Amino acid sequence: MSNTVEVAFTVNNIQYVRNVEPRMLLSDFLRHELGLTGTHVGCEHGVCGACTVLFDGQSVRSCLMFAVQANGHEILTIEGLGTIDNLHPIQQSFIEAHGLQCGFCTPGIILTLVPFLESNPDPSEEEIRHAISGNICRCTGYQNIVEAVKLAAEKMSPNT
Amino acid sequence: MKIEGEYLFNGPRAELWEVIRDPEILATALPGTKSLDKVGENEYVGEMNVRVGPVGGLFSGRLTVSNEVPPESLTLSVEGKGSPGFLNGMGNVILDEQGEDKTLMKYEGDVQVGGKLASVGQRLLDTASKSTIRQGLEALDMALQARVAAKAEGKEVEYTPPSESEFVAGVAKDMARQALSSRTVWIVIGVVVIIAILVVYWISAGSGS
Amino acid sequence: MTHKYIGKRIQRNEDPRLLTGQALFVDDVNIPGMLHAAFLRSDYAHARLKSIDVSAARERPGVVAVFTAEDMGADWKPGPPLVSPPPTVKDVTFFSRTQVPLVKDKVRHAGEAIAVVVAESRYIAEDAVEDIQVDLEPLEAVADLEKAMRPDSVRVHDDLDSNLAAHIVQVKGDYDKIRGEADLLIKRRIVIDRGAAAAMENRGIVANWDVKSQHLTVWDTTQAPIPIRNGLATRLGLSAHQVRVIAPFLGGGFGPKMMMFYPEEMLIPWLAIKLGRPVKWIEDRRENFYATTQERAQIHDVEMALTREGRILGIHDTFLHDTGAYDPYGLTIPLNTQSHMMSGYDVANFYSEIKVVFTNKIITTPIRGAGRPQGIYIAERLLDIAAKELGLDPIEIRKLNFIPPEAFPYEHKIIDQAFAPLILDSGNYRPVLEKAAVLIGYDQFVNEEQPRLRAEGRHIGIGIVSFIETTGVGPYEGARITVQTDGKINVATGVGTQGQGHFTSFAQVVAEQLGVAVKDVHLVTGDTAEFHWGTGTFASRGSVVAGNAINASAAGVRKKILKLASEVLKAPEDELELENGQVRVADIPQQSISLGELAALANPLRGAVEPGTEPGLEATAYFGPKYGAAAFGTHAMILEVDPETMMVEIKRYVVVEDCGTVLNPMILEGQIHGGVAMGIGNAYYEKLVYDDNAQLLNASLADYLIPTASEVPRIVIGHEETRSPLNPLGTKGVGEAGTIPVPALFAQALENALAEYNLEILETPLSPNRLFELIQDKEKSR
Repeated sequence: MSNTVEVAFTVNNIQYVRNVEPRMLLSDFLRHELGLTGTHVGCEHGVCGACTVLFDGQSVRSCLMFAVQANGHEILTIEGLGTIDNLHPIQQSFIEAHGLQCGFCTPGIILTLVPFLESNPDPSEEEIRHAISGNICRCTGYQNIVEAVKLAAEKMSPNT
Repeated sequence: MKIEGEYLFNGPRAELWEVIRDPEILATALPGTKSLDKVGENEYVGEMNVRVGPVGGLFSGRLTVSNEVPPESLTLSVEGKGSPGFLNGMGNVILDEQGEDKTLMKYEGDVQVGGKLASVGQRLLDTASKSTIRQGLEALDMALQARVAAKAEGKEVEYTPPSESEFVAGVAKDMARQALSSRTVWIVIGVVVIIAILVVYWISAGSGS
Repeated sequence: MTHKYIGKRIQRNEDPRLLTGQALFVDDVNIPGMLHAAFLRSDYAHARLKSIDVSAARERPGVVAVFTAEDMGADWKPGPPLVSPPPTVKDVTFFSRTQVPLVKDKVRHAGEAIAVVVAESRYIAEDAVEDIQVDLEPLEAVADLEKAMRPDSVRVHDDLDSNLAAHIVQVKGDYDKIRGEADLLIKRRIVIDRGAAAAMENRGIVANWDVKSQHLTVWDTTQAPIPIRNGLATRLGLSAHQVRVIAPFLGGGFGPKMMMFYPEEMLIPWLAIKLGRPVKWIEDRRENFYATTQERAQIHDVEMALTREGRILGIHDTFLHDTGAYDPYGLTIPLNTQSHMMSGYDVANFYSEIKVVFTNKIITTPIRGAGRPQGIYIAERLLDIAAKELGLDPIEIRKLNFIPPEAFPYEHKIIDQAFAPLILDSGNYRPVLEKAAVLIGYDQFVNEEQPRLRAEGRHIGIGIVSFIETTGVGPYEGARITVQTDGKINVATGVGTQGQGHFTSFAQVVAEQLGVAVKDVHLVTGDTAEFHWGTGTFASRGSVVAGNAINASAAGVRKKILKLASEVLKAPEDELELENGQVRVADIPQQSISLGELAALANPLRGAVEPGTEPGLEATAYFGPKYGAAAFGTHAMILEVDPETMMVEIKRYVVVEDCGTVLNPMILEGQIHGGVAMGIGNAYYEKLVYDDNAQLLNASLADYLIPTASEVPRIVIGHEETRSPLNPLGTKGVGEAGTIPVPALFAQALENALAEYNLEILETPLSPNRLFELIQDKEKSR
């Protein structure tokens, strides 16, 4: 190993300590070092949003970050949001509204939505489209994603 | 990509001609140049660090001088390639005397770019190349002035070329300046400031009554 | 016929895994000891390879091997041609030149792979790529189609006399004869330029050679695992059963993943065998712009002859088609263009001449639409121009020329890309167009809304275009269905899935036959170990061809179920019902047996199996259509143009689609939404920009603009259903339908929105910049 740095951070509530090269991207670290392959890499230049994860609760592009930058921070990936037996309401809504087709961009979109819905519990269509305008989907044409978000907002609202 | 422009040098034409035909001075005028060696009467080979936005790396290339009409004009041809791509260009340089101690350099040429520089650096190429040329000419001008001054006093030439980091900072500043030079950006900034002032006013007015 | 499962909006079986990061994509494959490959690619579009020195790269720590074409020795072979020209058309010229694993003598397009580095990590491999010293002598590159056809042009392939790759003429009737009788001749030059598929997942391959079992496993982002498996076996000197190709979940295909034997596909498995370790290569986005195929550039000189009432008498067209540096995919795309130039219109005379041209650009192979959008663009543009000249409404001129429902099957007499005569099997076009007009509010808009808004100074326009789409082509697909002893149903079929929901729509077909819940049908697609007969997912054929094979196979299983159950329940077959996973005697529900139990009985450990029967409840069936079913649709749109920025806002968008029997309306609508979004990109935001040196200038998503949620409008979808007589399910394909007419629609709507400029748009793609230029040019010429 050439020059490595020790990093310690939490991913999906599990503490990890690893030695990484400073130049290793956070996306590569999550996918290949930790085996959390739910976060996908679409462009590696920060445009498509497929690699979005939560970094201390904020949505960030993991392809534009180095693993060493995550030292001491908390990361949430799609695997930490819900499981097949215990889906998060956003995940459940995507099934019901057919908000995904190939599913490649989906984890990134969902993690973009988590902080968005926290601060916008009752978003309009325009607000939803604006919120996901930084995530490219080539399959769905976005319409059913918007429906899924509206459904998720309903499910997550304290009135239901 | 077409390149053209002019630059007013602070020195007589004959001296400027000497300066631009001197490979040692040329090598320092464009920081990032790691080497520039004469290999023939009118041929130089060299290495240069090139950076355009996110794309950068070491370029190696050949510079050829032709059509020399001293001290009026010449043609420069450049062929370079490296990991960021390749670059071929040809430019004509004309020197016009403007009185005894000023010279107007006019240049126009064509550059073809390929590889990463072309495909990823495209939107930045124009600004980056203009900035590079401007800074290079400024450095040449300083070299020219130092040379003229030294000759006048019979001394050795004292001249410190700009460093690579200064150069890179200069290019970055130019690119930012370019972005901010757009009128729209200033209008937006102006509107935001006005709104901010109004908001503060309303809040303070509201809390007053 | 009422269906219980077919035609229902059933939620997808595959979604929970995709939503929780539990679905395998190729880059997720991780094998102990796996190595990583990176490629040295040419920056020049056309260059002679003089020398290459990989010694420094080989010495870098962590690098296991570096290979050049020389190093491959006798194993270096160009890829196989995928599609030959149609055998029944006369006087076809065709020069087959296919892509190579690594450049040997000269580079023919920017990005062509020159050397491959295999290392312990992709990071190290990329470092080592920069260590390689390569001496390329740049040659003049040819980027422009017309320049490439000049006799003095630089040649992409030195062994040919020119850059002509193919030449084919197809004729129907006699255009020259009717030309003299026409009241109106519309003659135009139409120019179409390139775009990319840009699936969100880039390509990738992992290959693992198990030397002890002499077995090769390849995970590949391919739409065609079976042909890849067969071809790899041949190339590597292996038996087909020694090779397994798996196309797991794919992040979108859209066509380029149907291209086969990409250089990387030829190399990575070879490297795995050579090095005795698993090898992975994952394409990055910038590579994708160079290493994955593109499509679409054509230049047409076309003429339409009409009567003064607006009836089309004939179409005459000659065009140049850009195939890029190689032509592995034969004439597929330009033949599709030819077939769709007459669209759904009754055109008796047709002349079309294609010249396929080599250029120093990246290879062209089908992308969603696959040449059909170009043909439809021409048909619709010429009709729009004719309508203007004759003072006809765009809807009227189309209705006037539609093939009437009683004329089906309608023969166009030319050969299409599937080597079959172009026959439109069924259709009823007028109601589709009329429904679209109603849904968009055509009359009310044109007569009230638009004049009012125009008076306010707004540039708002409407467009409505129709199109056909040949779908569901052969040769065939197959499926094997098995009832398990736990009552669940296993289905294996050869096509792959890239997001279009096969796991669910095909399950619905099975559920319909066998009376089980859709979620109890488990499908495997794209794994040659499970099923190895078939071709792949392309040309909107999945639901038609594989769906019908699955239907036939399920029917076969149903027969066996009924036969065995009849013995077990001691009741005649026609009194038996299949429901909820049980076989029941009608009216005597207690007399029943579950499918699982029946399956166990069908596979006895004792006793004898009757001669002439098979154990288990399993059946395999194949389906090959006589020819492709032709779907039909109409798109309509209202948009507003900002005259200062030329940015476009789509106010209303309507699609009315007739694709025969619909398997799952939810999935169908998703396909249309996605297709329209891609069409909008193709029409107004996406263009691959090459310079005169065939350098690609926008090889990143920052500069190649894919529509986001802000650019794609809400889409209203209406249905008509004309069942296809060509297959038992009565279904037609729809995967590409959303994309095909959009460029033509944009042209019409933009002309309408900017009516004061009286533009005539004869090119695609457009963009805000380009629209501005067109207006400027128009103003100058006044």
